[in-house]
Amino acid sequence: MKKALFIFGLLSAYLALLAPFTAYLRNKPFDEKLGYVPHADVLKPLSADQKQFVAAWFVLKTASYYGGLVQQAQSRIYEPPEYFGMYKTIETALHLDPYNMDGYYFAQAILAWDMKRIHEANALLEHGMKYRDWDFYLPYFAGFNYAYFLKDYAKAAKYYQRVGELTGDALAMRLAGRYMYEAGRTDLAIAYLAAMEKGAQNESIKKTFQIRLKALREVRRIEMAQEQYRHVVKRGPKTVDELLQGGYLQEPPVDPYGGKFYIDKDGVIRSTSKFAFGVHSE
Amino acid sequence: MLPIFFITLKGLFRERVFRGILISAVLFLGIPFISTLSMRQVAELSITLSLSLISFILLLLSVFLGGSSFWKDVERRYVFSVLGLPVSRTDYLLGKLGAVAGFVLLIAIVLGLIACAVIWLASSAYPPTLRPVVWTNIFFAIFFDALKYVLLVGIAFLFSTVSTSFFLPIFGTVSIFLVGSATQELYDFIRISEQAFSPLVKNIITLLYYFIPNFGAFDLKVNAVYGISLSPAGLMMTAGYFILYFALVVSLSSILFSRRELR
Repeated sequence: MKKALFIFGLLSAYLALLAPFTAYLRNKPFDEKLGYVPHADVLKPLSADQKQFVAAWFVLKTASYYGGLVQQAQSRIYEPPEYFGMYKTIETALHLDPYNMDGYYFAQAILAWDMKRIHEANALLEHGMKYRDWDFYLPYFAGFNYAYFLKDYAKAAKYYQRVGELTGDALAMRLAGRYMYEAGRTDLAIAYLAAMEKGAQNESIKKTFQIRLKALREVRRIEMAQEQYRHVVKRGPKTVDELLQGGYLQEPPVDPYGGKFYIDKDGVIRSTSKFAFGVHSE
Repeated sequence: MLPIFFITLKGLFRERVFRGILISAVLFLGIPFISTLSMRQVAELSITLSLSLISFILLLLSVFLGGSSFWKDVERRYVFSVLGLPVSRTDYLLGKLGAVAGFVLLIAIVLGLIACAVIWLASSAYPPTLRPVVWTNIFFAIFFDALKYVLLVGIAFLFSTVSTSFFLPIFGTVSIFLVGSATQELYDFIRISEQAFSPLVKNIITLLYYFIPNFGAFDLKVNAVYGISLSPAGLMMTAGYFILYFALVVSLSSILFSRRELR
């Protein structure tokens, strides 16, 4: 009887501890959760014959953390993402297994789009191109980064040329030429994101593409209203409200990142969310 | 030699090692689900996880069976009763080693078949977009992984022939596995790194590189996962390396065991 009571007491204490213990582990900061990630040169010999597994584990862990953030942000809980921690982890993973496509894909998503560290993103993509020499996605990402973010069309053309060579695709070849100049940046991004969204297999990543696409389609809608306004009034609108009041925009635009759209002094459509979760500057 | 081989193999089955392995093989069932967490490479991730799991199970088997089965016979004095029969020490050693190595190979085949089913399942649900699954590469990756662990069993037996304690065969084998898996990386690192290493460090690493078995050479996971072509000459050389190194380890074990004073 005494023994049974003792076991029952132990079990109750265990169950009582479980809830706060799980909450504590769940709320640990990302860097702490992941622990210290040693340099790839040290990890390589340490991971023995499990390099690909260790790399895949790092990538999955980072992706699931990021997926969690997206979920939280959609429920309007903003937690500043540990971008640097994510970047360092992915970089280490890609040095352990330079063939891991998920790593490049994710680096492109967070480094280029969220952190705007285009040169770092391109450096990683360059690293990948040395190994995955059959993969057209890597030069496609790099070309897009040069054209869209850096407006360096000559460099972009070089990468699109490579995409064309790898795929034999006429569109890529066209992108490598004058088309890049003429295409609006927003159209270019919409086309890129729509293709990415279609190919995404992971649900949370697919969702991030869908959100971004939604935001860019709203930007494109405002841009079209802006062009119409300019055509009629012969000057650019100063605020989005002007477009709404003038009837150029039928419905108020909604930023899925929770921000508010505005027109900057150069006439470019921007949002207070900077098109990323948790980066609010009101 | 053959009776020892069959008795040992029977003993391994009787110890229910096989059942223990089948329980850990249940983890294979989780692989198709975990693989879908990948963003772009579900099939590749399923191959990575399957090969990693096979490698991990074979490592545990080689270390524990290799490190314990021969040592246990000596420690429990079973070896005396057997050696009283017209069986030479070398025959006894070869029979035991053959049985454990054969068991490792058998498990590699069983796990390899399960892995193929898992990879087939994952790659049919999410076909790889850029490169198809190269089954021959997967076969070679598992086969060379199995050879690697047979060599490790040989190392564990070598330690068992000289050790009077349980710790040397187990920890010695684990250490050789870790160092042997890293020597290629370390050797490449000191050769290409711009950092200046002292001649002593360089010599130690070079010595380790030639002396310790190069397990890195048997690791063909990257070729299997990403469908990167294998070099036939490289495979032949690795197989040759295995045969010669294994023969050396077995011969040395046999010499050491023949001279060992059994009390």
